[in-house]
Parts: sequence; C-alpha cells; structure tokens
Amino acid sequence: MSKGFANNRLTLLAIGVLACFVTVGVRLVFLHVLDREDLLRFVDKARRQIVVEHARRGTILDAHGNLLATSRSEITVAVDPWALDEYLESDTNEARRTRKRTEEVAKRSQLASLLGVTLAEVQKAFTPGMRSIKAESDTRDGKVDGQTKDRWVKLREAVDEPTFDKIAALNIRGLTFERAYRRVYPSGSLAAQVIGYVNKEGVPVTGAEHHFDLYLKGQDGWIESEKDGARRELAQFRSREVPVQDGNDVVLSIDAVVQHIIEDELKTVAAKYSPHFATIIASDPMTGAILGMANYPSYDLNNYSKAPLDAQRNYAVTDMIEPGSTFKIVAIGAALNEGLVTPLSRFDCGITTIDYKGHTLKLPKEDEPFGELSVADIVAHSSNRGAAQLAMLMGEQRFYEYARLYGFGQPTGFGLGGEIRGQLAAPERWDGLTITRMPMGHSVAATPLQIHMAMSAVANGGVLLRPQIIKEIKDANGVVIRTFGPEKRGTVLRSSTAAQLAQLLTGVVREGTAKGFDIPGFEVAGKTGTTQKLVDGKYVTNRHVSSFVGFFPASRPEVVLSVIVDDAHMPNGGVAYGRAVAAPAFHHIAEQLIQYLEIKPVMPATPNVLAMQGGVR
Amino acid sequence: MKPPPAHTFVNQLIALTLLLLVFSGTLGLGAVWVRQGISGTANRSHSLEVKIADIERQLDEVNAEVAAALNPETLLRQNEVMRLGLVSPREIQVQRVSESPELRLMAKGNRDVFNVASATAGSRNDPFSFRVVNASLR
Repeated sequence: MSKGFANNRLTLLAIGVLACFVTVGVRLVFLHVLDREDLLRFVDKARRQIVVEHARRGTILDAHGNLLATSRSEITVAVDPWALDEYLESDTNEARRTRKRTEEVAKRSQLASLLGVTLAEVQKAFTPGMRSIKAESDTRDGKVDGQTKDRWVKLREAVDEPTFDKIAALNIRGLTFERAYRRVYPSGSLAAQVIGYVNKEGVPVTGAEHHFDLYLKGQDGWIESEKDGARRELAQFRSREVPVQDGNDVVLSIDAVVQHIIEDELKTVAAKYSPHFATIIASDPMTGAILGMANYPSYDLNNYSKAPLDAQRNYAVTDMIEPGSTFKIVAIGAALNEGLVTPLSRFDCGITTIDYKGHTLKLPKEDEPFGELSVADIVAHSSNRGAAQLAMLMGEQRFYEYARLYGFGQPTGFGLGGEIRGQLAAPERWDGLTITRMPMGHSVAATPLQIHMAMSAVANGGVLLRPQIIKEIKDANGVVIRTFGPEKRGTVLRSSTAAQLAQLLTGVVREGTAKGFDIPGFEVAGKTGTTQKLVDGKYVTNRHVSSFVGFFPASRPEVVLSVIVDDAHMPNGGVAYGRAVAAPAFHHIAEQLIQYLEIKPVMPATPNVLAMQGGVR
Repeated sequence: MKPPPAHTFVNQLIALTLLLLVFSGTLGLGAVWVRQGISGTANRSHSLEVKIADIERQLDEVNAEVAAALNPETLLRQNEVMRLGLVSPREIQVQRVSESPELRLMAKGNRDVFNVASATAGSRNDPFSFRVVNASLR
C-alpha cells in the first residue's frame, strides 16, 4: 500500500467526517434558526403545559379547636371511550387483543357497583362517540366535518377518596378523573348562620366563610412544564413554578358545646311555641367574645341548597325588634349614672298623666297596678311609668345620648351576615309622647345583638365592647399569625353605676317579673321584655316579642345571655310574656353553662370569707 | 529547516478530530447522564409530592370524620344508642370544695392509711379496752 493512497484515504475520511459535521450543522441551523418558530409552536402545543395547583381553603375552628368547616377532596370520574380501541389497535395479535378486551369489559361491572350506577350506564359511557364542535376549530382529527372524538364522558361526581382508591386499583384503561375540594361542615347545622357556606362554584356566600374569605382562600400556585404522550408531567422539564399557598385557619370565639346547648334549647322553644323566629346569644362580658349565637329557623350547612332563604338569615343582626322592657336599662342606668336618683328614690307609678315642659302627657299603661315604687322596684317589676319618669328627669337630649352610648341606632361592628343599625330617631324627630314611650322600649328598634351588647356593658362595668366572633388566625402550619382582642367602643356608665344596676337587676329574678328563675348562689341578673308587635303600623295585642336578657353571677359576671323569641304562639292562647317564654329558656341554659364553664357560685360575704381573702373584697 | 510533510498535518488533523469527537462524545454522554440523573431526581421528588398530597388529603378526610364523630349531637345520639345514660351534672349534685384540694385529699389519704380501730380484750370480769393504730393495707 503506497503512502499516497494512505494519505488519500485519510483525507477522504476527514472529508467524510467533516461532511457529517456539516450535515448535522446544517440540520441544526434548519431546526434552530429557520424552522425555529414553527417547531417551537408545535412543541408548545404538544408538550408544554401549565398546571394550576388549587390552594386548599383553610378550616374554620371553634375556640377549642373543633372543626366547624373543612375541605374534603372529591373526585369526578369520567371515561375516554376511545382509549381502549386505540390501545388495542397497536396490538396485531388477534387472540391477545380479544383477551385484553374481555378483561377490560369484565372490570366494568365492578366499576358500576363501586360508583353506584347501573352496568348499562357504564357500558354506554364506554361506547366511543363523536361530539360536535365549531367547524373552524375542527383541526383535531384531520377532517373538517365539525365532529371530533368525545374523550370526556362523565360517569359520576362527588366520589370519595376511599371509593376512588378501589376504582383506581381496577386499573381500567380510559378511566380519567378530576379532583376538586368540596367544603364540608362536620357539625351540620351547628352555628349555621355564623359559619355560612361556600357554594358549588366555590364562592363563599354568607357568614364567616364570606367575611373571612381573605384569610381562608389562600393563593393558587402553578407549574409550567412539559408532558409526555400519556399526558403525565415530565417533572425534569419544569421551567417555572409558583408555589401554592394554602389558606389560613380561622378560629372563631364560638364554643361548640355552648353553641349546642343554646341550639338545643332553641329547638325546645321552637317546638313549644312555633315562633316566627328566635335567637339566643351567649357571650363573655369582659371580652365581648361570642360563645354561641343560634337562630331559629336554621338549616344544615351540608344541604344549604335545600334551605329556604329565611332559614339562612342571622336574625341576631339582620332583623330588628322593639326591645321592650329590656331597654329600661337605658333610662335607669342613665338616671343612676347622672346622680339624679338612687336605688331608694321613689316615684309614683300609679299616676296616668304627668306634666312635662308645660304639657300634660299621658303615661303608658302598666301590666299591673302600681303605687309608689323605688327605683329598685321599678327595675324588678318593670314599671313603664317609672321608666318614663326617670327619662323625663334627664330630658330628651340626654336620654337620647345615653341610648346612643348603649350602642342603639348604630351597628355593633359584628361584621358577619349583613348587620343593620336599628332605628333610634334623634329628639328633633320625636313626637310629644316619645319621651314616655321610648324608655319602655317602644319607638326604638334594635337588633337582638344590640340589646345583648347593651346588657353586656352593664355586666362588665359600663364599657360597650364590639362583639368578637373571631379569636385568631393560624397559618397552614398551625402557627398563630394574628389574634383579636377585646375592642372598646365607648364608656356607657361608671363602673360603680354598672355594679349598682347589676345588683338591681338581680331583683328581677328574686322578686320581680321573672321571679322563680334565680339560680341560688349564682346571682342571676336580667331583664324581661314583652313587646306588642307592630302590624300595619298598629300595635296588636295578640302577637308579642318575648325576651330575657341577663348575665350571671351579678357581682363577677362570666356569661351574658339573651333569649329573644318573636311571635311565640302560647299553647293556651295567652300573652307570650318574656317571663313565660324566654326566662325559662334562659334559666335552663344558665344551669347547663354553669356546669360546662365551671362557673363557681358567689360566696356569701361573711367575716370568715373576708378573713380568708385577706380582708380584701 | 524542512517543513513537516503534508501527511503529518493530515494525521494531526485526524487525531485532533478524533480527540474532539471523543471529547464531545464524553461531554454529550456526561450531559445525558446528568440529565438522566436530574430527571430521575425530579420524578422522585414529584412522586414524593404526590404522596404528600395524598397523605394530606387522607388526613383531611380523617379529621373531617373525627370532627363529625365528636360533634355534640352525634355524641348525644351515641349516648342514647349505647344506653350509657350519661347526663351533665346538676348543681345540686356538685360538692364545691373551698379549701385546698391537695390538703383535703392528703387528709383523706391519711385517714385511710392510719386507720384507727378499737378492740376489747381480757376476761369478762377484767376487761380492758385499747385503741390500735394500724396501717391499712389498702
């Protein structure tokens, strides 16, 4: 072999290698430069995907961490009817193809029983079919005939995880699924109007679900990546990723057991009196924290779609009533606070008219005839004329200012469920008789929560607080990120006056309108209320709002409790007095709360006790 | 000095080309190996993410079931079904203890431990009684 031949051979080899490189290079230029846009578009369409990761909505808990609302995943099971045929087409062995088809078809009866549908429905879903699409977008199967393969036939919605696990284990070809979170309420109807619900579209509609949505909803994340032929994500090709942020947990001030106690009592009241509506509120007077808020009628949060709109209203804040005698705490508290009277000051409550600013005014009727009564008796026996005279001592403007200080005529700041402000007209708009009627709770309208918070101000030493329904916010890891403390709205009474009024209110259950509903040792203080309802602008004598609003123990209050029943139907057709309808419910709830909240009785202030306490009261 | 023969240059070129091929091949294989490693790790972490999500879902499921089972209404129903007869105490049944519960329990325990008993012995005509303090075996 000559040297020249070897050189030529090597040269040829080098040229060959270079030619290969050049060919590859040219192809690369075509792929990366000339056809780049088209190819990228194709790859984008075929492989690129953006997967949205939905944030998990936070839970709603009660004050002790019991779940009131949570999210549960549910699966929609569907079928790609073409998948089996396409899979079998690739197999050329006829016998094997038949065997595989038989195996797949055999699984369908198990699928039907797991889904709770008939086999015929499943077979129908697996039958390949076409669906119509717009002709201009018909580019899927190469034919432009406005028809495309139907690859999503829904079999069943709301399949739970354990069932789905069994279905997945069947490994059925062509079975697809979509997972979604659905809101569930483990306690059913408990605190329904307070918690609210999220509808099927995932929109929070009412209650805490709606009001605290900003905390609860979280933030969806997304991943930009590529998928393989089986539409599985190719995790190594993730190009961008925004992590999902799950929603925060909202801890309410509600105590599930307290809520259950008051709802149970409400059911009893409803069964006995068939009222138009009724509401019971329990709260901590020192913080304004709502321990329970129940309404009748109510509904099951898991079946909200079947609930009438009336049942979804939180009557405690959406409806107003004339507070009746419970409003007398305004006139009496104000007169004591202004130093115009003492508990022993006496008024003639037997008179029917009174001279006031040069006019003779007719005083309201009493439920029973009274003579001369002390302020303490006016409270205990709920004298309308006594309350009117106390208001007159102050005058319209001062009395109105006190009513405002108690929080009437303005929203409490509760926040949930469309709170209204009630009605409290300024003195300029009063007629001549208003000064005699408003002190007994007529010519004024308030929500049950306003009345409750006014009584709470008496209980806590004269401070009007904002009702607190939220206790704290926790992040997805359970770390507290925000707490909500008491919020003072204003000072109503001096603490000494509030304590004095609290003691006077104990007379109501000891010897007054709710006599017999005291709980020995626990100093129940409260006020009954019975108001005739306004129908077509006139007070009617056969329809009433019955109420009892109070707290206990009077000398160191731990719970404020309001029972308000609208339009109770008495079994014997009698008047639905607050003492007959609301006071027994109050008493029964109070007995249970004393045990549950471990409220200790008030010790009698004997010298021995004083010595035990180091002589300090 | 004589210039190197042409075939030497060609040989060097071929050797360099081969070297380049080996080098780029190694780089290519290395890149494939690294990418394989990356995709393996990515897929493993992806499957772990899926597993974590599954477990969290199951946890939510269990929590919801526990909450439903602990609902006061359900517990009351169970109380009836199982005929447990559990009722909340009434005030009249409650004995309030004002002094220190520790001291009270200690005194009660001491009474049980140092049981005071009396006995009579001797003859009928000459009886004598005495008190014994014995430690209870309880």
